[in-house]
Amino acid sequence: MKTMEQNYFLSKWLNHEITEEELKNHLSSEEITAYKKIISATNQLEIPEFNAEQGLEKIKLKRNKPKGGKLYIINSFFKVAAVLAIIVVSYYFISNKEENYSTQFAEKISFDLPDNSNVHLNADSEITFKPKNWKNNKILNLKGEAYFSVFKGAKFTVNTALGTVTVLGTKFNVIVRENYFEVNCYEGIVSTNYQKQTIKVPAGSSFKVLNSASKLEQITETNPSWIENSSSFKSMPFKYVVQEIERQYNITVVYDTKNAESLFTGNFTHTNLDTALQAISIPLNLKYNKISDKKVRLQ
Amino acid sequence: MHIKNKTGFCNEKNFSDFFLDHSKLLNNYIFYKCGNFELAGDIVQEAFLKFWENCQKVIPGKGKSYLFTIANNLFLNEYSKNKVVLNFRKIPVKNYTNESPEFLMEEKEFSAKLQNALGNLSEAQRIAFLMNRIDGKKYKEIAEILGITVKAVEKRIHNALLNLRKEIDNI
Repeated sequence: MKTMEQNYFLSKWLNHEITEEELKNHLSSEEITAYKKIISATNQLEIPEFNAEQGLEKIKLKRNKPKGGKLYIINSFFKVAAVLAIIVVSYYFISNKEENYSTQFAEKISFDLPDNSNVHLNADSEITFKPKNWKNNKILNLKGEAYFSVFKGAKFTVNTALGTVTVLGTKFNVIVRENYFEVNCYEGIVSTNYQKQTIKVPAGSSFKVLNSASKLEQITETNPSWIENSSSFKSMPFKYVVQEIERQYNITVVYDTKNAESLFTGNFTHTNLDTALQAISIPLNLKYNKISDKKVRLQ
Repeated sequence: MHIKNKTGFCNEKNFSDFFLDHSKLLNNYIFYKCGNFELAGDIVQEAFLKFWENCQKVIPGKGKSYLFTIANNLFLNEYSKNKVVLNFRKIPVKNYTNESPEFLMEEKEFSAKLQNALGNLSEAQRIAFLMNRIDGKKYKEIAEILGITVKAVEKRIHNALLNLRKEIDNI
């Protein structure tokens, strides 16, 4: 113990734990005088005055707003508000989440709606709807062509760029292609809104709008031909026929544009390209040749 | 959480009191390290800002050592270790007026020697010694701030004095 204390006798002396007399056990009086002088001189040293008040003002300015103090109380409020906002927003998004079905070229799909109605989607088409909110909001958005087989009693609306179709327990086909709108009803009745007009399309009827000219005509089929892998046309401009064969086979067809508006009546199969090409070229007195796998010329 | 805010360092009043109580010592502490009063002032500002940002995390009773730790880290981050030149001003002491000019001259020279010698001490020794001499802190408080034992403080101060005398005698 004694050696420990001896080690730091200068500290002990500085701290008035030992007297100057005791210090003499360790140091000569000359040494003690030297230490006294050092200590005295050190005590007279002065460092620049630190202005705490000014420092505090400065820090309050820098600190300005966001973190701490009263704001923490608001922060807790914000935390609750943020959580609520997330719940509301996510509910909104979930309930408004759109289901999307789409087809590429040479692709057809079939799916059921939440009320068990069935939809066939033809090539290069798209349907969106909100399944979560289906009960209150039975609305479909359609691009392209689709065949609906609606479960009895289910009512819903098909929105398209060219018109809307409202249905009640029916089977019907809707086509929406560039300037062409067609609603074919096979069972029950559908109501079509086209340019603010409401047109009833009963079973066995077809409502067509081509370049703004609309007409209602009779059909004999019981379902659209494309469901059975064939496309049929009645007095359709040839360009739509070509577009359809391009969609069904995922090919590009090159042809003389003077034929684009020629009317075509007939059908082609989706299962054999050669047969299909013959079917569309012969009525117009054309010949076809395959330039490549994906490209066909009609002339 | 609100109760904690009212009583802890996040409370505006508590923070202000804490600043007024400790900012000067912190400033001097950094000054003893680097001998640069401006830098010390900047680090005090930064350290207290950081302290305020983290006020909720500060354990009551540990505020002071936390503050000095922050300042120390800031200092290490910002200051590459140059040779310390302490720049003290000597207190003009009134009773010196009766002393002879020779004595005053000698005092002045001695003070310069002392300042030089202080600059040559190890940082640890200088801080402990000057906190005791200039800030009048007890060994126990110095130990608490530096996170060392009282015994270690005694050792540092003891060695500081030994070194100062050696240095001054050599000049």
